Amino acid sequence: MDLLEQLNGLAAKLEVRLSQAATEAELESARVDFLGRKGRLAELMSHLRELSPEERPAFGQTANAVKQKLTAMLDARRAEQEQAAESAFLASFDPTVPGRTLWNGSLHPITLAMEEVCSVFRSMGYEIAGGPEVETDFNCFEALNMPPEHPARDMQDTLYISDKVLLRTHTSCVQVRTMMSRKPPLAVIGPGKVYRRDSDVTHTPMFHQIEGLLVDRRVTMADLRGTLTAFVRAVFGSGTRVRFRPSFFPFTEPSVEVDMSCTRCGGHGHVDGQPCRICKGSGWLEILGSGMVDPAVFSAVGYDPEEVSGFAFGLGVERIAMLKYGLTDLRMNFENDVRFLHQFPV
Amino acid sequence: MLLSFNWLKEFVPYTGTAEELGNMLTMLGLELEEVLHPYAEIGGVVIGRVLTCEAHPDSDHLHVCTVDVGAADPLNIVCGAPNVAAGQLVPVAPVGSTLPGGLVMKKAKLRGVPSFGMICSERELGLTDDHSGILVLPETSRSGHRLMPGERFVEACELDQEVLDISITPNRADCLSVYGFARIVGAYLGLPVTRPAVHLQETGDDMSHAVPVDVQDGGFCPSYTGRIIKGAKVAPSPAWMRYRLHGVGIRPISNLVDVTNYILMELGQPLHAFDHNKLAGGRIIVRTAREGEELTTLDGQKRVLREGDGLICDAEKPVALAGVMGGLETEITDESESVFLECAVFRPRSIRVTARRLGLTSEASYRYERGVDPTGMAFALDRAATLMAELSGATVCRGVCACTPQPWKAPEVRFRRSRAEALLGVALTDEFCASTLECLGCTVDRSAKDEWKVRTPGWRYDLTREADLIEEVAIFKGVDNLGETLPSIPQNLAAFGAPEGRHAFMMRIKHWAAGLGLNEAVNYSFVGNKDLDFLGLPPEGRVNIMNPLTAEQDVLRTELAPGLFQNVRQNIAQGANGVRLFEVAEAFRLDASSETTVKEVRHLAMVLYGARHDDVWAHEDADMDYVDLKGLVEKLFAYLRLPLPSFSVEEHSYLAPAVRMTMPDGTIVGVIGRLKPALADAYLARKAVWYADVDMDYLHAASQNMRPVFQSLPVFPAVRRDITFIAPRTLHVETLLESVRGVKTSLLESVELLYIYEPEGSADRNVTCRLTFRRADRTLQDGEVDKEREKIASALVKNLGVKI
Repeated sequence: MDLLEQLNGLAAKLEVRLSQAATEAELESARVDFLGRKGRLAELMSHLRELSPEERPAFGQTANAVKQKLTAMLDARRAEQEQAAESAFLASFDPTVPGRTLWNGSLHPITLAMEEVCSVFRSMGYEIAGGPEVETDFNCFEALNMPPEHPARDMQDTLYISDKVLLRTHTSCVQVRTMMSRKPPLAVIGPGKVYRRDSDVTHTPMFHQIEGLLVDRRVTMADLRGTLTAFVRAVFGSGTRVRFRPSFFPFTEPSVEVDMSCTRCGGHGHVDGQPCRICKGSGWLEILGSGMVDPAVFSAVGYDPEEVSGFAFGLGVERIAMLKYGLTDLRMNFENDVRFLHQFPV
Repeated sequence: MLLSFNWLKEFVPYTGTAEELGNMLTMLGLELEEVLHPYAEIGGVVIGRVLTCEAHPDSDHLHVCTVDVGAADPLNIVCGAPNVAAGQLVPVAPVGSTLPGGLVMKKAKLRGVPSFGMICSERELGLTDDHSGILVLPETSRSGHRLMPGERFVEACELDQEVLDISITPNRADCLSVYGFARIVGAYLGLPVTRPAVHLQETGDDMSHAVPVDVQDGGFCPSYTGRIIKGAKVAPSPAWMRYRLHGVGIRPISNLVDVTNYILMELGQPLHAFDHNKLAGGRIIVRTAREGEELTTLDGQKRVLREGDGLICDAEKPVALAGVMGGLETEITDESESVFLECAVFRPRSIRVTARRLGLTSEASYRYERGVDPTGMAFALDRAATLMAELSGATVCRGVCACTPQPWKAPEVRFRRSRAEALLGVALTDEFCASTLECLGCTVDRSAKDEWKVRTPGWRYDLTREADLIEEVAIFKGVDNLGETLPSIPQNLAAFGAPEGRHAFMMRIKHWAAGLGLNEAVNYSFVGNKDLDFLGLPPEGRVNIMNPLTAEQDVLRTELAPGLFQNVRQNIAQGANGVRLFEVAEAFRLDASSETTVKEVRHLAMVLYGARHDDVWAHEDADMDYVDLKGLVEKLFAYLRLPLPSFSVEEHSYLAPAVRMTMPDGTIVGVIGRLKPALADAYLARKAVWYADVDMDYLHAASQNMRPVFQSLPVFPAVRRDITFIAPRTLHVETLLESVRGVKTSLLESVELLYIYEPEGSADRNVTCRLTFRRADRTLQDGEVDKEREKIASALVKNLGVKI
């Protein structure tokens, strides 16, 4: 057969071949068969030398045209196949397959609550202060107007290391340390662990507190009320109501307890006609203790109570965490069950 | 403090409800815990009149009674009490009513005779422990009301139906009595307060010198008084007194003793009744104990005393632990007929020392510790003596035996309205301040306009300073009514630019760890010594707790490991496949140079156990190993921009292998390792438990000034070559890499571990490293790189004996 005819016939043959090529591999084998170095086109081209010089240009031109045509056919078919594959991929794409997760890290709810409280006070301009968890009797009690045998020591059962060294029962020691090492004015909060010799459903022997202290020339009880109202609203929402009532702490005078409207019943004291189990029907939840710094404390740390005044407060972090996150069992905080911890992802 | 609402109303005409009173007291700093209804359960019990009482035909001790309970027909009731008789007025629990403990009365048949209720004893009604027979009621109540069948028993007999449970802060000694509450309620509401009536009739000779009182230490006992009551007949107290005491939690004993308790609750003055005839030598000496002296107290316990304990003695021996508890030998018995009634005040602190040391807290010591009103003694003594005489048929002898070495003098406290305004942030008038102080019982001398002299009453031990008076003004103003202002917060210039604080650093590390996927744990700071022993930790330097709650919590942890291992155990027990925890907390060690004798170092500890990935798809199944944990540790150092420590194997008490981390400056900064399998069993761990501990305080200090330093990006491309060394497994990767780095070549930029293959059954392993070559000034030629690679390869073959 005439070489030219054979050349021109390649397209039709490729057509047939391509119509049967369903896969990428078959397509590739068709390409190799027709356009490869040892393929059909190459084989026909090898006969070029057998032609007369006059015939050669026309043959060469035809061969080029055929090569382009074959290439175009293959490209078109490839594009068709890719298009089909893409369509198939999109058609079967499942957006609901679970993601490939990394580990789900978490911060302890106590840490989360502590951070939230600290950030409110930091935004007001308070600095963070600290102190050791093992403390001297002086810093924990005496400087806070609780001399030995003061009945107020009954309010807290203490774990002792020795006669004069103990595990701090409150973060109020941070007040003492801060005032002893700095001159007024100062505004600090002291978060940390505290310890009491007490263990039952509502008490764990270790828990967390945050102490706050503001000392300046003319700090008033109205400042205390404004500050703590702002704090409660910042953490529990602007609609939360706050109540102050007189109390007693040896290191503040006057002393007040701060109650906030119950997070569950909104202060009504009942839910669906039943007494609220969180506030026990009172509508109020005790949230922190505070007061104006007792002049005896100022004297103990070398401040002049006639020159400066201040307020201090202490709040229980577990209490905040329980109210904020709805925790029901205090002791669960220290069991570190990963099913519990995973509920507080960050 | 249990406060009977009825009792209170005997002294102040309060007209609100018990709940309203409780809420008011709460806002005065006397917090209501709850309103108790001690007799709510017997609310259905009615008064009945026994009409007939016949012997039961089939029983030798039962009676068949008909009882009028105010209904059309009398009730048929079978009663087993020996003292039941026709004509009696009795409490009846009819069918359907309840008795204490939730018992509901039902119709019953006793030996064939139907019974429609129960005639009750005092014990059955929960009034007292008396169950000797049914309670036979008087015809009239205490106030003179005639009891009628059908009336509700609790109301007709004027039992105290509402009792307020109020928590009293240690400063409010004045509110440890009914009268004290009346005083506060009266002062706050402007109501008149009446003291209980006393119609003291002193008869007979003047006995004020019959018992000479010698107080040896006026500091301990400023005033001691007593009265003699003769001709008493010991008997049970009348019902109203017994029920009232029972309602506020005090067990009735006998008329003489009950009176002392009644006055204690009513007026807050502890009293003690001695059997006068048993006081040897008929005298009282108040002194402090000698070391080792002994006294058997009322509860039958022999007490060994210490020097300084307060004693009441007769001419021969101690007869009472002053202010705490009376002695057994001189106590009132059924035979007593002459009473020496003590009424004294003692120094609060001394009483507290003794009571605390002996673990002996009584109603008396509780009040003495907080302060008893010296100006109320005489009245309390007279009222008690009168009541005793009234209830026991005795006579009160004329005169008071007394010794008052330190007569009470009202303290003088200054008060400046300006100071109160400055502290409270509210405007006050002179009139408001003065009337507040006066209605609390103070006398106010306003002769100096700006600085008043205030004399405080004897019952307010808590009003000794100006701040205390200001607090009272604030309470009467209402602490909930003061203004609300936001103060400007003093800024501390020194804080700006200061190094990152310890707390901020800790929070940063916690967020870092949680962000990497670890779960934060919080464990108790104390563990058991046995937990530390179990991990082979040295006993030296442990901080023991003197008074631990339990042996499981008797020492402060010297490492975080015990807690985290327990957490692993707990989680395995709960079925967790993988555990990845971290904790940031203090470890404690004794340190003589510390002010607190303890050194606290903050640690970061991490523990990995079990499956690398949770039971989720798209991850291959494998357990976590050293490489996982070391990766976290390396990341930590990178995060803090610190150089990596060197890692070397060491001996460790609970980890094997244990890898010590040493910083370039030589500081040992932590350890990584696997819990020894022999120990892991105790924590239920069947797979390796990997643990790391890092000294956070070191990291905090070391990372203080670390910041990233930019380096220009290379201009010319790198050329990479991989080499696989066949090396003994004992050859550490780091040795290999260091050896590569040690070869003198100018083109090698870096070398990294690419792959380790450990063929089975071979002592060797294939370690593939990737070498990166680069020149800063031009593109490298393949030929020169190959030459370098050869140089490195042959150097290692020569130096380490590895094969290529």
